[in-house]
Amino acid sequence: MENELKQLIIETLDLEDIGIDDIDSGAALFNEGLGLDSIDALELGLAIRKKYNVKINAEKEDVAKIFASVSALANYIQSART
Amino acid sequence: MPSALKVADFVLNDWGVWASDSESRETSCMHSSPNLAEIPGFIPKLQQRRLSPLARAVFNAIDRCIKPGENLPTVFSSAHGEVGKALAMLETIRDGEELSPTAFSLSVHNAIAGLYSIAYRNQQEITVIAPGGEAIGPAFAEALGMLQEGAAEVLVVLYDEPIAGFYPVAPFALNGEFTCALAMRLALAGKGMPLRLSRVPKNGDAGEQPVQLPLFVDFLRRGDGGAAVDFWGRGWRWEKI
Repeated sequence: MENELKQLIIETLDLEDIGIDDIDSGAALFNEGLGLDSIDALELGLAIRKKYNVKINAEKEDVAKIFASVSALANYIQSART
Repeated sequence: MPSALKVADFVLNDWGVWASDSESRETSCMHSSPNLAEIPGFIPKLQQRRLSPLARAVFNAIDRCIKPGENLPTVFSSAHGEVGKALAMLETIRDGEELSPTAFSLSVHNAIAGLYSIAYRNQQEITVIAPGGEAIGPAFAEALGMLQEGAAEVLVVLYDEPIAGFYPVAPFALNGEFTCALAMRLALAGKGMPLRLSRVPKNGDAGEQPVQLPLFVDFLRRGDGGAAVDFWGRGWRWEKI
């Protein structure tokens, strides 16, 4: 699941020079770490909705926590699907 | 010929151009890909991925006359901007798909100006014009206004690419044959190329910015000697003085 998410992040966000081994599952995705921004968060939210049919509601949920890292995101998607 | 109304004298301190047509390009960049401009090396990878072919042309032209860290007030002018991205989004809606937030944010008329502001950390006044039938004239009028208000130097960037075949262009002269971006540093006085912009009577149709831009680049290239370029249809005249 985590590697699948990393691949989705790389393809969705055009991170041409990055491979799945370059993304640390526990490291921050935004600002520090991978350095993604708010537009990337929206784009990633859309890709997750399309691929996993999981909708992240920015008004009801703690988006910063959900998107904190690849492992946090994977945990959220798995719990939302079950 | 009716006498011209003098509007303003100014100087062109430096300029840079990128065009996908090699005939219109500076010799110094002939080695680069004929259809995709090189991105200035200082721009981080995460920002580079947001640059469309048109944005790359704009950044390449700017890089020829602006150093990173130099922050000039800037006027952008484009007839069509990133309208191709807007068309692609409409096609996405037609197909029942959801829109990409990134594509939306990069489709608006000031998208390239925003990318420029981020990449160059430029927080000066930045204006983006969609000049329509007035073509390249309004960008100069805007820049001269900023200079009159006290700016020491203003960067003017004119850019356009051919528009998608979906859009009917005939019988209007509003589409160029190749991508062209021209960046110019204007000031009221100094050692640059002295130019005069005049308002003259309208007469006929000389086309919109994508048609006029390559002609204006040719005018700048022709060297000194008082050569004037007239865009009679829109009532603007440039001459070297």
